[in-house]
Amino acid sequence: MENKLKRKKFKEALAGYFFISPWLFIFITFSVFSLGYAIYLSFTSYNLLKPPQWWDFEGYQRVLSDELFLKKALPNTFKYALIVVPLQTIISLILAFAMDQKLRFRRAFRTIYYLPSVTSSVVISLIFVWIFAPQGVFNQITHLTLNWLDSPATAFYVIMGMNIFTTSGTLMLIFLSGLQDISASIYEAAQIDGASAFQTFFGITIPLLKPVIFFVVTVGVIGCFQVFDQIFVMTAGGPLDSTTTITYLIYKWAFRDTTIKMGQASALAVILTLIILVITLLQRRLIEGSGSASER
Amino acid sequence: MKSLMKVLSAVFVLSMLLTACGGTAETPVVPATPVTIIETQVVEVPLEQTVVRLSGWASSPSETALLESLLYRFSVENPDILVKYEPITGDYKQVLLTGIASGTEPDVYYIDIFWWQELAKNDVLLPIDDLMTGSGVARTDFIPALLDAFTYNGITYGIPKDFNTLGMFFNKDLFDAAGLAYPTDDWTWTDLKATATALTDLTDPNKPVYGFCTAPDAGRFPAFVFQNGGTVMNADFTDTTLDSPAAIEAAEFYTSFRTEGVGAMPSDVGEGWQGTVFGKGQCAMVYEGAWLIPYLRDQFPGLKYGVVIPPAGPVGEGNLIFTVAWGISANTQNPDAAWRVVNYLTSEASQKTVLESGFALPSRISLQSSDYLANNPNSAAIFNGALNGAQPFFWGAFGSDVNDQMGKALERVFKENQPVADAMQQAATALRNLMK
Repeated sequence: MENKLKRKKFKEALAGYFFISPWLFIFITFSVFSLGYAIYLSFTSYNLLKPPQWWDFEGYQRVLSDELFLKKALPNTFKYALIVVPLQTIISLILAFAMDQKLRFRRAFRTIYYLPSVTSSVVISLIFVWIFAPQGVFNQITHLTLNWLDSPATAFYVIMGMNIFTTSGTLMLIFLSGLQDISASIYEAAQIDGASAFQTFFGITIPLLKPVIFFVVTVGVIGCFQVFDQIFVMTAGGPLDSTTTITYLIYKWAFRDTTIKMGQASALAVILTLIILVITLLQRRLIEGSGSASER
Repeated sequence: MKSLMKVLSAVFVLSMLLTACGGTAETPVVPATPVTIIETQVVEVPLEQTVVRLSGWASSPSETALLESLLYRFSVENPDILVKYEPITGDYKQVLLTGIASGTEPDVYYIDIFWWQELAKNDVLLPIDDLMTGSGVARTDFIPALLDAFTYNGITYGIPKDFNTLGMFFNKDLFDAAGLAYPTDDWTWTDLKATATALTDLTDPNKPVYGFCTAPDAGRFPAFVFQNGGTVMNADFTDTTLDSPAAIEAAEFYTSFRTEGVGAMPSDVGEGWQGTVFGKGQCAMVYEGAWLIPYLRDQFPGLKYGVVIPPAGPVGEGNLIFTVAWGISANTQNPDAAWRVVNYLTSEASQKTVLESGFALPSRISLQSSDYLANNPNSAAIFNGALNGAQPFFWGAFGSDVNDQMGKALERVFKENQPVADAMQQAATALRNLMK
């Protein structure tokens, strides 16, 4: 009897694995294998033309003593995340809150705010390049004569603004579903207790949204640390390295330089992963530690 | 069986040729004839065709069309070889290198003077000296500086397909309007500066006209270093000489145009490169290569301009040579077929077509005295640039870093008002740190 049950369970498991096998295959080839190979490459010297040579920690040492990494890419990436994440979180929360009210045409508005997120980032980047060109729309409207993307003082902020513009829509949707998850009875109870709208927002909405906020901030931080395509299209890391981020530096070392440094680039990719991991763990501590709403 | 097919197809082709010729005799409509011949080849010969994959970047539709027309003529003359042209748009080097890493690179591909030595050092290119002697191609058939540029440790790895140097393009209308004499090949830095100053007209804020364009571009600035007797790298490319007095002086001269308000970066007037600025008449003089000629013909057909060799500096003439060669992969299954393709594309007939297209200049020495150059002074100026103090656009294994640092040094002077000597010093220090 028991044996029969076991066999049935085994059969079920087999069927399960069979069903997920296409996904499993893709996951193993394109994620597990690629990740493992990148980690292996980070300990080698590899120029794509000759097989990788074992290098120990030389690649890591070179990354950690590289001027472009220490003086530009690392601070730029942190600056980018520190500015973009809070802004996009606040803006998308406000948008979600507005969209949650019983406004006229709110479906149309939701679609409009979400549109930038479904548009290709390369297309939006090109449009922003035109908007911020010296003779572009932005200068025409504001009567300025700045060359936004060619000046080290402004280029990075244009890219930040664009990123906030494109990601806010997706984050708004996530917040919106979080807001709609909050039971109406809690709001009703607050109303009966005589809480003001302000008190309700900070006393009920925000605390109950905490898991969603954690998710949005985490996704935002990871996205910011991996920003690449916009920079590749809009400035190629320039002017004067003011928009060189860690991912752009990885690309530069891996593909652009005359002497290809695939090993060093992989080492930096591993370092970036570690940075993101540490920050995400810290965030979890911070957000979960400061209050209730932990799901576990 | 195979030989039978060959005979059969040969007979078939021959018969088609005969019918074709017969047709010509009766009706003098010549262009219709080749079409029939091609059809026979496509239908009849595929069984024994050797496939050669060929790749290059696609810089412009007309340049791609030029290569395709040469390959078409090759296919007519060599029915036993099927050339598969696989142009790479976007990042050519990245696609090529990943192809080499996975062993799927094309048999024949462009190699750029700027980075090809990395390929030779790692033995992924086929040495072609024996193939050259085998088909009677002598090294002396080509301009020595070009073939030398694709020789590493005494072994030839590529046949230069064409080359370019910098010429000084000048806008004739702007010179006429200012009542100035056109530049000549004997100009010096002093003439350049004085004329740029005289041509600058900033009265219309929406369309300022600058005398001379100075892009913060490592593809232009080194010419000034050479004209001042300096170099970018030392002889064996182990150290940079960007902080030498000659290079700093050259940078001071180059940046002085913009500092004094008689020169501009393309971005100052909202353009990506100085070719457009020149075409729009907002820069009276620019240093560009022959690639600007077809661009101006297409985009600014009415523009009246001339080209002279760049003005000499205090020490003499100086210029840059840009060149690309056809290389053959060391992994190729059909080295002989690949070589026949390369040999055809760099033959005198093909090179003549390249020359007449106006994109670039032929690497064959025999075309130096061609009618085309005699009738086209603009192209001739670019050609002659190679004979006047020109040095290859190549800075060793850290070439892209050298370019970056040179560009950044100029940008710092232009955008952050850093003193020139400090900027060059900083660039040299950064390079030495990288090259350690």
